[in-house]
Amino acid sequence: MIDVAAIKAHAKALLEKGTVRAVIGYRNSTAGLLAEPFVFTGPESVDDLIYGPSCVQNLALYLVNDKKERAHHKSDDARPVAVVAKGCDARAITVLLQEKHFLREAIHVIGVSCEGTGVVDTKKLARKLGGKHAVEIDFDGGEAFAVTTADGVQSLPAAEIMAERCLECRGAHPQLADIAFGEAKTDRALHTPFQAVKHKMKEEQDNRWSFWARQFDRCLRCYACRSVCPMCYCEECVVDSIQFAVLPDTTAEEKANRIKWIERSPNRSESAMYHMVRAIHLAGRCIDCAECERVCPVNIPLRLLNTRLEMEAFETFDYNPGSDMNAPTLTSSFKDTDPNSFIR
Amino acid sequence: MTKTMAMEKMLNKADLAAWMGKLETHQLFAPMLEDEGVWNYAPVVKAADVALDQPNTVRPPKDFVFPQRETLYRFEQVRGEAPVLTETLPDPQPSVVFGVRPCDSRGLVRQDIVFTKEFDDPYFQGRRAKTIFVGQACKVPPSPNCFCNSVGGSPSSEDGLDLLMTELDGKYHVKAVTQRGADLLAKGGALFKEASASDKAAVAKAHESAKAHPQRPIKELGKVAGALKQNFDSKAWDEMAKACIGCGICTFLCPTCHCFDINDEVTCSSPCKGERVRTWDTCQFPDFTMHTSGHNPRETLGSRLRQRVCHKFQYFTENHDMPQCTGCGRCISLCPVGIDIVSVVERLGQP
Repeated sequence: MIDVAAIKAHAKALLEKGTVRAVIGYRNSTAGLLAEPFVFTGPESVDDLIYGPSCVQNLALYLVNDKKERAHHKSDDARPVAVVAKGCDARAITVLLQEKHFLREAIHVIGVSCEGTGVVDTKKLARKLGGKHAVEIDFDGGEAFAVTTADGVQSLPAAEIMAERCLECRGAHPQLADIAFGEAKTDRALHTPFQAVKHKMKEEQDNRWSFWARQFDRCLRCYACRSVCPMCYCEECVVDSIQFAVLPDTTAEEKANRIKWIERSPNRSESAMYHMVRAIHLAGRCIDCAECERVCPVNIPLRLLNTRLEMEAFETFDYNPGSDMNAPTLTSSFKDTDPNSFIR
Repeated sequence: MTKTMAMEKMLNKADLAAWMGKLETHQLFAPMLEDEGVWNYAPVVKAADVALDQPNTVRPPKDFVFPQRETLYRFEQVRGEAPVLTETLPDPQPSVVFGVRPCDSRGLVRQDIVFTKEFDDPYFQGRRAKTIFVGQACKVPPSPNCFCNSVGGSPSSEDGLDLLMTELDGKYHVKAVTQRGADLLAKGGALFKEASASDKAAVAKAHESAKAHPQRPIKELGKVAGALKQNFDSKAWDEMAKACIGCGICTFLCPTCHCFDINDEVTCSSPCKGERVRTWDTCQFPDFTMHTSGHNPRETLGSRLRQRVCHKFQYFTENHDMPQCTGCGRCISLCPVGIDIVSVVERLGQP
């Protein structure tokens, strides 16, 4: 079982000694059951730090945001920033390091093992509780969650209300960490990797298209899936133009003729294009935190798109993103054992 | 909408489908389960399947009057000739939307102000004139983040509605709020019985008990606008927006957000042909306030959070004497990272 008091003590000591600028972690939210990502800057603020199955968000995103914000405010504080990282968060940080998004010494990783559990899936929990409303959730030993409702506390097997991604997780213990909390369980004996996408792929092609057509038709284009993704750090996203260089001599015609790859209209073709572009850009980079799928307000199963490409990366190239910060990225590397003859 | 004499009738729940059957001149919409936990308005295919006691829809009913995409006009130009513009004012089939929660109908009132009082928008007005909204009074708050009472509304508010339905023990109490609501009621004929004095007493009691249900509180609503103005330069905006990911959920799904972008969508280059369209836009997106010079006055997430909250609780109040927010709670419940407008108002919008 995770010793939350020990995590807090460590975070507090870091801030007291001033060895880090801030600690990115979780605190209780006033909005509902799930935790709220929070940037702790003073030792006393760490009293609010929590860790539990409600800590679903991938905090690697906030390292990306921190970099942007520091650039905006022209901060010259060179101290590292600390971040609480589950297995998936640590894999995301590893990919960012592989891509040289920041330097290893710029971050202090407080790793937390998910042990035999993971994080909660609120939809599964709601189904399980059948109308009752959960107000609190915590670990209950290594394989169960303690859920509090108006009727009191009950223990539920974690595997029954855990996020799908946690069931398929191949690295519940953070490999990249300056300090790690919790037991490093390697054999979780839950679902086999890529189980969900393999199941979906058994369907006929026509059915698969009608399934996705319906999903793209429902897309709101709120871009929450992009915004929550730590790998979607492009300065300029294909869907919105913020960096289009406008100089004093840029003509009206040049502005008008700027290529719009994807229109803002939320129709099947534009939305499909958006999701395909995102999926392709994440191939060999997605570490399956499945935050894109969790945040979708209309339940578009985006994880299927991304894990399909990760399955390809793994089965064809034996590549597992986020497992080694010193390894070259999939798309920037080449092996003599490549299965395709045209490239050998 | 012109106010009419209060007309109150009773309808057996089992007769709802029969009433809907008599409304064939209109296209009917009601909340339907679209996916697990996701209710949204959809055309009524089988009236018998309509249930009106579900949680609120993910998408607010603003779609009916302010769709996410609206064609403003079509254009075509043969090289060397003058462009030809074709008007595309909407003329939809008359429709009836059932199951509208009072927070959302109060949202429609705010949309009316923007698209009627501030600007005369024929696209909005064309749709609004053809859409009848039938409200559904809440018995208990459909979400733990409801706060309609705290922003001057109530679980049985009639604002913006044509009819208000209240469920009472196997029956619906149906009250006509506007003339077109009354006309819709009249189409039900003998399905409706006159509400008795005891029915009226029961409905008043139901409304009272719904209102008494605890909700998220905002202590001094009247002082929020002034306090926000005072706190415009507070450092707390940046701090509270630290978790923000900058997506469009809070605004796209807000029943009162009305910002849009205008683009030309070209479908053919010779002759140049296409449509000028407006689509929802949001103050949370990075390019929302982007100037052509490259300067962005709201570059940070904190300044965007401030814009959203101050528009709801300060600017709109200053301009129209009412907060824009109607307390549906969607932006709180659906925020991926727990940003909570009630907490923000509590912190920066109280004296």
